Amino acid sequence: MNEPDMETKTKIRWSEYNKEIANDKFFYLRSCIRQNFNPGAEKVFLSILQNKLGKEVYDDPHHTTCSGIGYHSDIVPFETFQTMVARQFSLMTERGYKNCAVSCITSFGGYNEVLSTWKEFPEELEKTRENLLKATGRTFEIPENLSHACDIIYKFRKEIAAQAPYRLINKETGEPLKIVDHIGCHYAKIFPEKGVGGSEYSRVLTGMIEAWGGEAVDYPERRHCCGFGFRHYLIKNNRSYSISASRKKFESMQPYQPDMILTNCPGCNMFLDRWQYALAQIEGKVYGGKNGIPVLSHEELAALVLGYDPWKDIGLQMHQMDVEPLLDKIGVEYDPKLKFTGVKGQYINEPEFTGCLARTD
Amino acid sequence: MNNKHVAVIGGGIAGMEAASVLARQGLKVTLIEKQANTGGKLNDWDHLFPDFSSPEVLVNSLATKTKDSGVNTVYNTEISRIERAGKRFELRANQDARFYADAVLVASGFNVFDATIKEEYGYGLFGNVITSVDFEKRMKKHGQLHTIQGTDPKRVAIIHCVGSRDAKVGNTYCSKVCCITGIKQAIEISEMLPDCEVFCFYMDLRLYGSKFDSLYLQAQKRHKIQFIRGRLSEAAERADKSIQIKAEDTLQGRPLRMTVDMVILLVGMEPGASTSQLIQKNQMTVDENGFLKSANVHCARNQSTQEGIFMAGTAICPMAVNETIENARSATTEIIHFFENRRP
Amino acid sequence: MGICQALHKQGSFMYSDLNQRLKADVRLEEGLQACMNCGICTAICPAAEFYEYDPRSIAITVQSGNHEKIAALLESDTIWYCGQCMSCKTRCPRNNCPGLIINVLRKLSQETGAFIKSRMGRQQYLIVKSIGANILQFGYCVHPTSLVPATHPEQGPVWRWVYENMHEVYAAVGANLDGDGPGAMRKISPTDLKELHQIFKVSGGLKLYQTIGHFSQLKAIELGLTDENGDADMEKYTQYLLNE
Repeated sequence: MNEPDMETKTKIRWSEYNKEIANDKFFYLRSCIRQNFNPGAEKVFLSILQNKLGKEVYDDPHHTTCSGIGYHSDIVPFETFQTMVARQFSLMTERGYKNCAVSCITSFGGYNEVLSTWKEFPEELEKTRENLLKATGRTFEIPENLSHACDIIYKFRKEIAAQAPYRLINKETGEPLKIVDHIGCHYAKIFPEKGVGGSEYSRVLTGMIEAWGGEAVDYPERRHCCGFGFRHYLIKNNRSYSISASRKKFESMQPYQPDMILTNCPGCNMFLDRWQYALAQIEGKVYGGKNGIPVLSHEELAALVLGYDPWKDIGLQMHQMDVEPLLDKIGVEYDPKLKFTGVKGQYINEPEFTGCLARTD
Repeated sequence: MNNKHVAVIGGGIAGMEAASVLARQGLKVTLIEKQANTGGKLNDWDHLFPDFSSPEVLVNSLATKTKDSGVNTVYNTEISRIERAGKRFELRANQDARFYADAVLVASGFNVFDATIKEEYGYGLFGNVITSVDFEKRMKKHGQLHTIQGTDPKRVAIIHCVGSRDAKVGNTYCSKVCCITGIKQAIEISEMLPDCEVFCFYMDLRLYGSKFDSLYLQAQKRHKIQFIRGRLSEAAERADKSIQIKAEDTLQGRPLRMTVDMVILLVGMEPGASTSQLIQKNQMTVDENGFLKSANVHCARNQSTQEGIFMAGTAICPMAVNETIENARSATTEIIHFFENRRP
Repeated sequence: MGICQALHKQGSFMYSDLNQRLKADVRLEEGLQACMNCGICTAICPAAEFYEYDPRSIAITVQSGNHEKIAALLESDTIWYCGQCMSCKTRCPRNNCPGLIINVLRKLSQETGAFIKSRMGRQQYLIVKSIGANILQFGYCVHPTSLVPATHPEQGPVWRWVYENMHEVYAAVGANLDGDGPGAMRKISPTDLKELHQIFKVSGGLKLYQTIGHFSQLKAIELGLTDENGDADMEKYTQYLLNE
């Protein structure tokens, strides 16, 4: 057979595709955005792995940003980004780990881009080794497995279901909750083979929804970007790009009246939460729920069905969209008075309002 | 030459035509068909381009020719292996049946691209996304086209290059017949449902046949079919079961999002499923697209890379019905030459 | 020749060997195999829906190797419209990735100083000042103190509440804001920050910040945004960019 001029994918039905996800002994790599906006999500992820699933996961204080947001807004050169990634791998190597558990989707896509570059262009790997050694005296091994946090939750979704006191079922009606998903673009759009079920109909979130009793609902703009756009959100004058992309998604999911939106990306999670508020303020429109559609990440939802406290453990009070309607439907027990309290349970003031629009009553 | 035996694998139009020509030349011919009937994929087809003629008439006339010329046709028999046995070939079938032949003609045809592989088009998920093959089957069976809701479609999008010229699904070649099939089907829809708007999304209109461009002209002029130069990026079902599609109108340089009632995917041709089996235990090879490789693409198109094994029709590459029949005839000439030049 | 003069003589000095410089980046090899103009990328590009932007034509221009057209792209708003979602990568039937081509064009636009010719390009200075500074100062791309509610009205009342009760809220959800040891939003230690700085120094990160800063200063001077000594006044320039 002649050597083809173009690499062709094997004839694969991606939605049936399974990627390799490590089973244990993870080196955790945090997300800048997740830590800022939903730090509780990262905390419960570690707790689920360690306390519910009996896994070993190491949270290294020495790792830093991967600089991915800088890379995709083009102020961080690819060479620097590769070296930053290499430093994270060096820390992993130093602690004796071989599997990365990545919290951020931008990082996850970035790590995969770097790993793919090193495979295709070994000279880039050599240059990165030199750069890292010169800058820090460090060496590194390439991880054996690189999984996103959602991959790991997906892998253990049935174990989580077995331990979960709650199901994604409306307590009143007995009907499964209708959940739409939004997969961060850099999860599998760049490398479909790095995502559970590829990129078009990824199963990573629907697999969780179904394992925990809910109903995954398709909608036309499911694959559309949330609109982060890196430089477009970062620059105030460009933010209309971001909000219009999210608006398109809300318009598209509205006819299905979802009980919640499930995401796997820290940025998407924050944007789909905040833009509902901003759109309501600008246009007066609420796209669903009582006063907005709750937006939860895979860690947050896993923790919720496992019975973690919505405020103290998961930190859901940091969402603009109220999660209480969702908690009530599931039947999660919570103390509404504890939502806006400090470390010792003392009242610490509260937001002017939550959800999309200020209550008029 | 008269005592020579030729085994023809595949009872589609290529196999039938070649078998009958060879038999009329006095050769002993066994035509081996895996299904209960000859005619192959054309049995499911409603009308042929460019003349809207009936494939049934064509298949029946070929079947009569085959029978009258004395071809021994064997049904329900799938060949899994062609092995050289001295100067002859031994063919093994699924049920341990064996055939011996002095030359073999492989006319095993093609496979239709499985559109579920192209997940972003939603075939198999959305009831209003169908393939060009489904269209022909429906037209043949019911003579009409309805949406999944049972209504007459008001807007139909016909999508070119599905499973062809696409590295993402493993096929970088052109299937050649889809463009004209799309135009034919667009005209048929327009004639059946005059109020229905029909859009063809194409990248290049590859209308290579002598009568194809006039059909294109007819589609535009008489039927107001709209041709949009841009490949489909995705199709998604809306709450009302209509289909939202996204493409770029590349001649305008603008992205285009529209809603249609039905989408028809012009699915391409792929190497036959049995090809990989048939090339084992002999010197046959496949080309870069996975079709059977010719000894020479110009002057020995019907000769495989194994002496004594010949090929005809879409086992070689995508081709239209009339080309397939011509190609089958040219294969018979190669086989006759082979016997004439061979020392006893 | 000074860079100011160079800016006026781009054809001969600044933009020499554009094609070679593009090809020197491995990402172009990955991003542009061969484009057949099908428009699948533009069809689902969020930027194409929002701006006058067509990733297909970017691929075609770079593929053409046309020096003038590539130079014009480097100076244009166009290359800054891409939101880097990489949706184009998934769909291209030729395995191209226009989003990656954009990265290479932006890199060259910044290295040559062409970015200051366009409004969208000039914004890179603001990103260096925010995200760029955050990375070096905190070891994070984002830090809660950098998300000032006044400049982030879209963040809403809950974020304002978080911001105003920052330490209490982060502590209440089990984060370790500015603390020692592991945890969410922990303080990145000086030793680790030093390694990060060294990486930026050795691998060209700092140099890119400086390049962006340098050309931005030239633009500030060109716009007359100077102090009493005639030097660029970058505070005025920042205000200019924010309102541009």
